[in-house]
Amino acid sequence: MKHVKSYVPFHSRFDPCQPIGRKYYSTPPHLYMTFQPYNLPQFSPQEALKKGTLWPAFYDYYENPYERRS
Amino acid sequence: METGLPAEYYQLLEELQAVDFVLVELTLYLDTHPNDTASIHQFNHYAQERKKLKKAIESKYGPMQQYGNSYSGAPWDWNKGPWPWQV
Repeated sequence: MKHVKSYVPFHSRFDPCQPIGRKYYSTPPHLYMTFQPYNLPQFSPQEALKKGTLWPAFYDYYENPYERRS
Repeated sequence: METGLPAEYYQLLEELQAVDFVLVELTLYLDTHPNDTASIHQFNHYAQERKKLKKAIESKYGPMQQYGNSYSGAPWDWNKGPWPWQV
């Protein structure tokens, strides 16, 4: 589960740049967990090293949300 | 400087890296969960695993650390590369 949120900023008619329009930002999973529960499932050491966390619950890779628009 | 290191060296080094990472993660976790005995067991298990791996690597490829953290062969082999940060 990924938490990607978005909003549309005000765009002035005098802005010389093309507006991006909808802006996206992602929030990490630990924000929604408060205190880390005991006995979460774990990655194997090799996988943890590649993914950057020992617990799948915290694995949060970046997916560029602007790519699928263009 | 030697350039050809066997594939086994890199495999061992990666294993060591993975175990080190698990230890880092468990350290941070145990800072906030000091009573989780299962995780403490896991931590100690990997700490032991790390010692074994370090010994296995150093017995074949020379010391990885200095100032008494690793044993040296004779003659003194610290001055022979490659060092872990060069590979």
